[in-house]
Amino acid sequence: MSKLLIVIPAYNEEGNIVRVVNELVARYPQYDYVVVNDGSRDRTAALCRQHGFRLIDLPVNLGLAGAFQTGLRYAAENGYDCALQFDADGQHKPEYIQPMLDELENGADIVIGSRFLTVKKPKSLRMLGSYLISWAIRLTTGQAICDPTSGMRMFNRRMVEEFALNLNYGPEPDTISYLIKNGAVVREIQVEMGERLTGTSYLNFARSVEYMLKMGLSILLIQWFRKREPVTFYYPERRD
Amino acid sequence: MSPLLPFALRALLICGSLCTTLFILRRVRQAKVQIEDSIFWLLFSGCLLLLSLFPEITTWVARKFGFVSEINVVYLAIIFLLLIKQFYMSVRISQMDSKLKSLTQKVALNEEKIERGKLDL
Repeated sequence: MSKLLIVIPAYNEEGNIVRVVNELVARYPQYDYVVVNDGSRDRTAALCRQHGFRLIDLPVNLGLAGAFQTGLRYAAENGYDCALQFDADGQHKPEYIQPMLDELENGADIVIGSRFLTVKKPKSLRMLGSYLISWAIRLTTGQAICDPTSGMRMFNRRMVEEFALNLNYGPEPDTISYLIKNGAVVREIQVEMGERLTGTSYLNFARSVEYMLKMGLSILLIQWFRKREPVTFYYPERRD
Repeated sequence: MSPLLPFALRALLICGSLCTTLFILRRVRQAKVQIEDSIFWLLFSGCLLLLSLFPEITTWVARKFGFVSEINVVYLAIIFLLLIKQFYMSVRISQMDSKLKSLTQKVALNEEKIERGKLDL
């Protein structure tokens, strides 16, 4: 069985983090996890220390991409075979980790926990961005990704190393599109997601529009011109 | 074809904006810039290219709003755009400054903690 690290980026999640991690620890002790506190202004880090969670405490706020990358560097340096991006707000359900892991072992490089693989995507304003990003990815790569904005993604060792060390590898749809174009195998698994437990979402209307525009331009314009550099990795503690 | 723009000047403008676009794309390709930043510059160079290909746009705007000369439209638009960009960059530098400060303090405090630990042992 491959060794999995669950990376939980947390920014101001004092209301959810304890419940989310406790559920993981109690029901799924076979998986390792690490909380990456992204310079929260609330008691997120204090609560993690108090409960003895494994914690990387960033002294300044780096944003989701930077925080997640920290977790992947940790995974790469400590010899994990794969890593999972897992929300701290309770939206992601750990019972889907095993099916995703199975799919990864079937040869996928990236597995996306998708809400709309077998379930129809609702035609609402909220999903408009998701439709547009799906369309952009399909246009540029030819592959249909039903739920590109899902934050539940699993990466194999090769991807972990690539994400851990490079610029412009945010855990976002544009990176997925770029990697598909470069031959990465991306598959989806149907999952169910809950509503966030407490607190407010980072994405308000203006931010959503900004995010969508950025992703759209990035997928449609920029990703064509990126060059993929073969990087040699050296982690002394790992022997293959 | 705008009667005010001689052919040589027009060729120069098109050539210049093409070179700018290519230069920016090369930088993006070499992964020297973050995507967030390159989007702005790519759109900016796209606008330059558009204006050099269709200078009629400037003429139209100048007539519509009563500018004395077309070139004033170009100056005004570009200076304003760069001013806004400058402001955002200034905000970002401030944020980086404070992050750097807090990082330095964190490193120093950690070092002190380690040294104190050694003394205690």
